[in-house]
This record gives sequence, structure tokens and C-alpha cells, in this order.
Amino acid sequence: MNTERLLILLAEDDDGHASLIRRNLKRAGVINDVIRVNDGQEALDYLNNLRRQTTAEAHVPLLMLLDINMPRVSGLEVLRDVKADPRTSLIPVIMLTTTDDPREVHRCYEAGCSVYLTKPVQYEQFVEAIKRLGLFLEIIKAPTASVGQVLPE
Amino acid sequence: MVPGSNVPLSVATAGLLEVAEDAIITVDVERNIVLFNRGAEKIFGYQRGEVVGKKLEILLPERFRLAHVQQVRNFAEGPTIARLMGERRNVYGLRKDGTEFPADVSISKMHVQDTLYLTAIVRDVSERYRAEQAIRQLNAELEQRVIERTAALAETNRQLLLKSQENETFVYSVSHDLRSPLVNLEGFSKELRLTAEELRELLSDPSVPASIRSQAERLITVDMFESLGFIEAAVARLGRIIDALLRLSRLGRVEYHWQWVDVHDLVTRIVSALQASLSQKSAEVRIITDLPQAWGDPTALEQVFGNLIGNAVKYLEPSRAGLVEIGYQPAQGTSPGAYFVRDNGMGIAGNHLPQLFRAFQRLHPQVAEGEGMGLAIVHRIVERHGGKIWVDSQLGVGTTFYVSLPPPPENERGVR
Repeated sequence: MNTERLLILLAEDDDGHASLIRRNLKRAGVINDVIRVNDGQEALDYLNNLRRQTTAEAHVPLLMLLDINMPRVSGLEVLRDVKADPRTSLIPVIMLTTTDDPREVHRCYEAGCSVYLTKPVQYEQFVEAIKRLGLFLEIIKAPTASVGQVLPE
Repeated sequence: MVPGSNVPLSVATAGLLEVAEDAIITVDVERNIVLFNRGAEKIFGYQRGEVVGKKLEILLPERFRLAHVQQVRNFAEGPTIARLMGERRNVYGLRKDGTEFPADVSISKMHVQDTLYLTAIVRDVSERYRAEQAIRQLNAELEQRVIERTAALAETNRQLLLKSQENETFVYSVSHDLRSPLVNLEGFSKELRLTAEELRELLSDPSVPASIRSQAERLITVDMFESLGFIEAAVARLGRIIDALLRLSRLGRVEYHWQWVDVHDLVTRIVSALQASLSQKSAEVRIITDLPQAWGDPTALEQVFGNLIGNAVKYLEPSRAGLVEIGYQPAQGTSPGAYFVRDNGMGIAGNHLPQLFRAFQRLHPQVAEGEGMGLAIVHRIVERHGGKIWVDSQLGVGTTFYVSLPPPPENERGVR
């Protein structure tokens, strides 16, 4: 994987969900830029734009967070598109959904997703997922003092 | 002579010929009719004088005549003395008025002073024939009706299945959609709690006047946290209801692994898993008869018995020692054999029984937690097994649930 600054592409149609995800990523210590798109089609547009600037050998430095239920193009369709193209097939994809329906989980892993998370996603889950992916994320290893204190739980 | 009388045998047999109901017709080898009894007159409608000396074929429908001539010759020259005609196909006679009738015919040879005669005994079997036809017709109609009814049933079944699938799809998508706003409610209540904690932190700054600090502290910890507590409890409850709905909708879609299930073993496992909670309640759960095997899905059947036994224990009457008995009641008359779970618990009022198996019905919400899905799920499972579930209950005395499960389809028998 490329070590240049990794971007996070978040495809989420619900503003509330998007805001919660941003907050929890931040709490998990992730300070990479998050680009949010509103549905699957916008995610595909973004990807196609990136592909035009990428040669076959270079991999796109991106982490994708895809909501499944989105208007126009679903997260699952975006996932399939990502995995079908060698320029993007190595992009780690985290699927976000409101249900733990085993069939849906199965479909996502079958299509090649890296992690499947059920909303609302807590920051601990993001930490865990990022660890598992072994990503070169710009994570602040220890939560900052203020963050540590506001998460007593 | 007829033994014991002075009547010559020929006279006696001639009398017999005349009283016989059957047609008795004798021909020579050239098939000329030489004898035609009264029975023959009645059956064929000819007077004796009209046919004696004529060829036998006039008594046969046109289409049989050619073959008949050959058959008579073969019989006359063959070794057989007597036989029944038409063993391989129906034989018909032709009346004087041109109508035909189905007939039983037997034929025999006799020699009278070196001359060979052939005698046919003919019985009109129109009546029997008509009766047989009627039975055949009736059978065919019955068969047709059975086919029609079966098709109608299959269609109804298909419609029902379609409807329940539609329902389940609907429930599935609704619960999916309900979850999205719930995620916001849950997530942002948590955010509010975090923000409140941060506020408290700010308030601890020494520059904040003590009176403001204590007032604000109270607003946060009492008012705000109480409000948040209610929101969180409501959200959690809504989440459980949606989960329950999803479970119910999944029931119809999950694939069953049909097999013989050792119900006795299954119930024994459920009961021993319950033991811990039983000792606290001073209750006893007993299996009182052998529980026969059932044809079904083991996981689904475990859910059925787990739910029924769990309910029985949950709703025991605290004022007396609880007793839950599980057994099997063999078929009696029209009622099928059934497993039963009997308790001496609180019982269910008669007016509540009709809603018992519906989703979200809770009869004793103060006694135990739950979403009121258990019996709806049990009902759905028993239904998918093609079985029946029913209940006997008396308020304050106890409840018995019965579950009957049908035998496996014909092609699965003997797998046991």
C-alpha cells in the first residue's frame, strides 16, 4: 500500500449517521481527511475520477466506508465495482449497515468487504477495525487527554 | 327316463329349455338355426318361426359377422367341447328391431346321431353393463373432483405462501427503515451525554462561581440525564421490538433441515438448562411420559419447546409451589397425538385466548420482560411444520399448551 496520505471516503445518505461516524472516527484517533459523498452514485463518480489519474500499477490510497442502504446505487454495488477493477481492488472497504442480517453480512464478505460494522458504530469498533486492517492511518496512538476524559463508560 | 319317474329325459330337458331365462340357440355346422327357445324369443324379439332355418349371423351386429363365421368353424373343428365366448372382448347381440345389446355367450358342441350341433347360451347383460358403466362414470367423476379439489388446495396454499412471504418482506423492509432513525436517536443521545460530561468538566474550572456551578451541575445530572435516560430506554425498547420483528420475518425465510428429531432428548436438555433458575423459584419441571420423535427442523423445534417451557416457568403463580409437566398424549378419536406443556401457573383469562398467538401481545407485562413475540414465533414455526398448536387454560389454575406435528411426507417414511 502507498504510504502517501490516506483519504477516507465516506458514502452515507443520512446526515446524522455521517456526523456520528465522523465524530467516532475522531474519537478513535483517526485524523485523516474524510470526504463524504451522499450516495453510491457519487461514490462511483469519485472513484472513476481517481482511476483516470491512476496508472494500473499504482493503487489508490483510500479507505472506503460504505453505507449499504443508499438511494440510486447501493453500497454493495459500489463494493462490487471497487473489487472488480485492479486499480481499486486493494482498497479496504468497511461496510456500514443498520442490520446484522446474516444473509447481508454474507453477501458483503462474499463481495470482498474487509470489515462489516453495524450502526451506530462506536469509536472502539473503529479502533478495532483499523487495527485489523493494519492501515497506515494517521492515528494518534493514545487518545488525547481531553478525549480520554470524556469517554468514561 | 328321468330317474324315479316315467318322464322321458328328452321331454324333461325340452321343458327346461322353455323355462330358461337365457336364450338357447342351436345351429348345425352350416350355422343354420335349428332350435330357438322362448328365452331367445324374449331377448332377440324374433318368433321361433322367423329364425329357424336362417343363418345364426342374423343375430349378430354386421361388424362381427365375418369373423364370427371363422370362429364357429374353428370351434366346430377344434377339440374344445365348450367355452365361454368373448373372454377377450365384449360380445354383442342384434335384436330384431336393429338394437344391440351386450351379451355373455357360452358355446358347446353335441353330436346327435353323428350330426354335429352347436348350442349357444346367450344372456342379455345390458343391466349389468349399465351398472358397470355408471360405476365407471362415477369413479371418473370422483377422480376428476379429487383432481380439481387438489388443484384448488394447491392454489390456496400457494396464495397463502405468497401472502406470508409478502408480509415477511414487508416486515423486513419496514424494520430496516425503522432502524435508520433509531441509529440517530441512539447515537446522538450518546453524543449528548458526552457533551454533558464535557460541560461538567468546564464547570469544574475554579473561575466558575460556586452557585452557578451547583445549579448547572444539577441541571446536567438531574434534568438532562433523566431526560436522556428516558430517551435511551425508549430507544432500547424500540430496538428490541424491531429486532423481534426481524426475527419473526426471518422465520418464514430461514431454510429448514428436515429430519427425525429426538424430542425427548431435546426437552431434557432444555429442562436441565433451566434448573439454575428453577431452584430460586421453588418450582419443578418434569417430563412425565416418553416423548416420541418428531419430523421437523431441530433448531425450530427447540425454539418451540424452549419457549413453551420457558413461558410456563416464567408465569408460575408465586403463591404456590410451581409444577411444569411435559408429556405426550396419544391420538384419541379425531384429536391427533400431541405434546403438551402443563403448568399450575397464573392461567390465562378466556377473553385473552384469541390474541394469544399474535405478535406483541403481552398478558402479564408486570411479571416478566419481553416483546410479546414468543408465542407468535412458536405459532409460526408449528404452522410451517404443518402442525397445530392449541391451549387449555383456566385463570388462577394453570395452562396447558398442546402441539401436534404431522408425520413426514410419504417419501420420507422409513428414514427413521
